[in-house]
Parts: sequence; structure tokens; C-alpha cells
Amino acid sequence: MGRKILLIEDDRETAAYLAKGLTQEGHSVEQATNGQDGLFRATDGSFDLIILDRMLPVLDGLSVLRALRAAHIDTPVLILSALASVGDRIDGLECGSDDYLVKPFSFAELLARVNALLRRREARVDPADHRLTVGDLEIDPLSRSVKRAGKKLDLKPREYLLLEYFARNEGRVVTRTMLLEQVWDYHFDPGTNVIDVHVSRLRRKLDEGFEKPLLHTVRGAGYMLAA
Amino acid sequence: MPTTLRIALLAGLLALLSNLAVIGFIYWRTHDEAVSTVRRQVIEQGKVLSDVYRSGGKAALDDAIEDTMTYGDPQTAVGLFDPAKREILGNLASVPSGPDPWREGYRNGLIRLRGQTTPHEGALVNQRLPNGQWVVTGRIFGEGLALRETLESSLLIGLVVAGLLGLGCGLILAQYVGRRIAAITEVADRISARDLSQRVPLTGAGDAFDRLGGQINAMLDRISTLMEELRLLTDSLAHDLRSPVSRLRSAAQAAAESSDPKEQEELLGSVIRQADALIRILTSVLEISRSEALTGRNQFAWFDAGELSAELTEMYEPLAEEKGAALKFDRPHRATPLYGHRQLLAQAISNLLENAIRYGSAGGEIRVGVEPRESEVRIEVSDRGPGIPEDLRAEALRRFGRLDSSRSDEGAGLGLALAQAIAHLHSGKLMLEDNHPGLLTALALPVHSDKHD
Repeated sequence: MGRKILLIEDDRETAAYLAKGLTQEGHSVEQATNGQDGLFRATDGSFDLIILDRMLPVLDGLSVLRALRAAHIDTPVLILSALASVGDRIDGLECGSDDYLVKPFSFAELLARVNALLRRREARVDPADHRLTVGDLEIDPLSRSVKRAGKKLDLKPREYLLLEYFARNEGRVVTRTMLLEQVWDYHFDPGTNVIDVHVSRLRRKLDEGFEKPLLHTVRGAGYMLAA
Repeated sequence: MPTTLRIALLAGLLALLSNLAVIGFIYWRTHDEAVSTVRRQVIEQGKVLSDVYRSGGKAALDDAIEDTMTYGDPQTAVGLFDPAKREILGNLASVPSGPDPWREGYRNGLIRLRGQTTPHEGALVNQRLPNGQWVVTGRIFGEGLALRETLESSLLIGLVVAGLLGLGCGLILAQYVGRRIAAITEVADRISARDLSQRVPLTGAGDAFDRLGGQINAMLDRISTLMEELRLLTDSLAHDLRSPVSRLRSAAQAAAESSDPKEQEELLGSVIRQADALIRILTSVLEISRSEALTGRNQFAWFDAGELSAELTEMYEPLAEEKGAALKFDRPHRATPLYGHRQLLAQAISNLLENAIRYGSAGGEIRVGVEPRESEVRIEVSDRGPGIPEDLRAEALRRFGRLDSSRSDEGAGLGLALAQAIAHLHSGKLMLEDNHPGLLTALALPVHSDKHD
């Protein structure tokens, strides 16, 4: 199921690379190469996602974002930027973006974030049963209780949050940085495998003793929860 | 006009003006004094003559006038006139001139005594006697005026001398100031010509010039320290990036030369990891310089330092366990509000934790503590590992400072430097202390750092 994505990026090489990749994923991509043009196209509100470079000619990315939010266009926005410091990331998020990705990034990382944002939009328009299920896994966000094949799992609070995030992105790749940002709300880059250790702890509780594993490692990208 | 001359002229002018004021005052006082003395004498003399007439009549008056002419001092003028203003008696060569010469009472006028060729300024009193005759008494200012003239000329000389002295003093002063400033200018010139080792010479007098020189020298010290740091940083950046870049290059080369697809994939994975490590180094360097430049204070907000530390301890606990260390959090006895950059402090604390886990896990236990003090919060991470000897602690805090080059694979030696820079952003300090045994790292942060700057 393809989605409409607006890509506002002035660097032709990056733009071509991203457009090609996203098109291969089945999305239709419209491109703008400066902020003003990008803002003009974005204002019709028909896009499912906007990928916005922060440093753009004519009108910079954050100004485009502010103008969009001021016009009550709440299309999810993913900012791309070479400005990598923690302060820059927070600036970007505080301007109303939904995600902030620092250049250089892998396409897998971008795709994972794009999918997560599209998924969130989908979830918003489709308020189903509040319970989350992945295969024989059952999560109740209200009571924060987790059952696998009817057996209750004893999770620590952070492990629960991690699992809930995985479940909300069922079948999609979730990267380490996404986990750090979304589950822990930290925006720095730890030099260690601290996230992996948490995931393997969760995996032990989740998959040990079951024939079919639910939590998978996706090489070179991250993790995925899938039945 | 050169400044020296301008200062000299200004000093001269000021001396002249102040002297002029003094002289003016003296002139006014002495002049007044002389005139009023004569005036008193004349009025007195007139009164005496009219008293004589009243008590002794015309004959007594004539005698008194004769006596005055004979025994009085040569400045005294006296005359008796009939009602038609013709002279009867006296030593006046002519009727004293002046507007309305026959007005009764005191007046100033020109008096010519008999035997004199020129009239002199003087004071006069006209009195009309009951029989219609006029008595004119007067006195020439002579003495007083002579005194005044001497005074005037000496004051004038004084004025000229004062003006010249002022000018001279001004010149000397201006030259002195010029010389002191020239010394500073010379140093500045040589510094502009890239010799940063120059310092302003101090006289030791502790005057304003010395203070200025001291300030400039302190500023120069700070600049050279910064320059030296910058040079070291550039050097070590260039040096320390060489090994990851060469590792990356050889992995890329090996991948290019490999014919086994599986091996190739592995090598390319390594290339990406090396590149990520490089990017991480660059991001850290950027983050350090931003923090040292105090960028990011606009993102300060209140949060609980204890809560943040607890959260990070929980985050790193599994990692520590994997390395064989028990990571424990000592909960503070009360809330520990802190006004700061939550995200950057999270990074600083996590750097301390990673450092402790990496180098201190062998000691078995790592503790995190948060201690609220009067105006600061102290966040401590302590391990029981080998620690860092006191003389090497400064090196450990330096960017790219590494105590043991053999472990250069892990971490770029930026973790503690970044934690320190973040402490500086909060007007705080990062301290490395002995944990007897092991290393204790502590962030000492003012509760509200904005207030201090």
C-alpha cells in the first residue's frame, strides 16, 4: 500500500537516492528543491508524510515547518539534517517535527522511521481495540499486562515500554536510535551497545521456552517484532 | 593636533583659569578695601568739620580748615566755598569735577590740589553749612591706588608664570602618559605581528597603568592557553582520526579485493561501523566545543537530577551486569531539582557510566549517587577498578587524552572531555577523585547556573 510522500531536499544526489528507494518501497514521491516550493506543495495537506531537509535555499526547513504547523497542517514531518548536536535535534523537535534524523544515515534507518511515522498516522485514523496482539502475544496497554500463549510475562516497566513500542510497529524494522529516542527519550548517541543488551533481556523473557521467536534481529538495521 | 600637545594645552589652560580666578578674587578684595578705607576717612573728616562749625562757629571752622591744610597728610583736600560757590579757603586748585559736583554727601571725583598739575581720583564729601557756605573735604586714593597697581602688575606676572607652569606640567604629564601607553601599544603591535609571548611591562607601582597592563597580560595568558588548546586539539584531531580512517580504508580496500561475497559483505559492514565511529567522534568534538561556547543554555529547564540519574542507572544496569559489575543507585534523601539541559546532562552522566563500566567493571561494584547540597547538586559515579593516578587525571579530562594507547580501539577518549564541557555549560565542574580504591567521577553543578553568569 503506497503512500504519498513529499520530499523537500535541495541536494540532488540525496534527493534522487531517497526518491528511488522510497519509490521501490511502493510509495509515490513528490519532490521540491527549495523551502518555498516545498511549503507551497505541502499546504494542500494531501501528503501522508513530509521529509524535510533542514538547510534549504529560499526558506529554511524549520521555517517551513513552523509555517505548516501555524497553518494547522499536521502531516507528519521527518527532518533530515547535518546539524548533529543534541541541541540542534531538540530545536528541530520543538519546532513541531515528528522525528529528526541526522545525516549521514543509512537508508534502512530512514525507511524504518518513515514506516513508523506512516504507521502512527494509520493508527490515529483507525482506533481499533486497545489491546495489541502479535501472534500469540497479547498486550493490554491499560493494565500494562503481557501474556504469551495465555501465560503472563513478568516484565520490568522499561521492558514493557520497549515491548509496547515494538508491538505498535509490528512487522516493521525498529532501529536502535529509534528505541533510544522513543522508549528512553534520549537524543544522544551512546557509544556502547546499551540498547542491544536491553533488547536481548526482553527477548529472553519473551521468546525463551517458545518454539517460534517473535523478536527478530534485522542485520545492519535493528529489530523487528513479528509473528 | 597631537594628543600630547592637546593634553599640555589643556593643563596650561586649566592652570591659567584657576589662577585667574584667584587673582580676580584678590584684585576685587584689595580694590574694595582701599576705596572703602579712604571713604571712611573722608566721611569722618567731613563729620569732624561740621561738628567744629556747630560747636565753635565760623571762626573755629576756619581754624580747623587751616589746621587740616597745615598738618594733614598731603592726600587730604579741603575747601570752604561761599553760597555762590566761590572759594574762600582751602587747598583745592579747582572745584572737583564729576557729574553734579555740588550734590550734598559722598561722591567720587577727580581732585586737583593746589601745586599739582594733574587731578587724581579721590573721594569727596560736600556739606552745606546753615549759613549757606559749602565745606568740601576729600582725599586722593593715591596710596591705595599705588598698592593696587603693584598688586596688579605682580598678579599679572603670576598669571603668566602660572600659565607657563601649567603648560610645562601638562607637557610632562602628557609625555609620561604617552610613554606608558606607548609601552602597551608596542606590545600590542608585536602581538599583531604574531608574537603571542609578549607581555606589557609592569612598573610595580600598582597604578592604573599597571592595572591595565595586568588585565591585558591576563587576557593574553587566556588567549595563549586557548590557542595552545586549539592547536593541541587540531593536532590530536588530525592524529586521532588517522587510525580510524586508515582502518576504514583498509577494510574498504579488502572488500574491493575480495571475491568471496560473504567475506565482502562482512568487510563492508566493518566499513560502515568504522564510518559510524568516525561520525561519532566528530559529533562529540562538535558537542564539546558547543558546550564550551555555552551554546544550548536557551534549552535549560527544571528537572530532577536524581530522577534522571536513576533512569540512566536503570538503563546501564544490564550492560554493567554483562561486564560483571553490579550497578547500584543510592537514592538521594530528598528531591534534587536542577535547572539545566536534561538531554546533555543525560549524555554526561551516561559518559561517566560508560567510562566506569568500561574501565572499572573488574572491581565488581559501580555506584551512582546524587547528593543535593546548599546551592549545588553533586552527581557521583564511583567504581572499584584500577582508578587513575592523580598526576594523570588532567590528561584523562583532555580531549583525546588517553591514558593507555593500547585501548584506543574502544572509545575515542572524548567521553570525559565531553562530560567536563557539559559541566562547564552548567557553570559546574567535573572532578576525578580517588575512590580508595577505584575512580570516583563527580559532576558538581550549581542548582541554577544561569544566575551566576
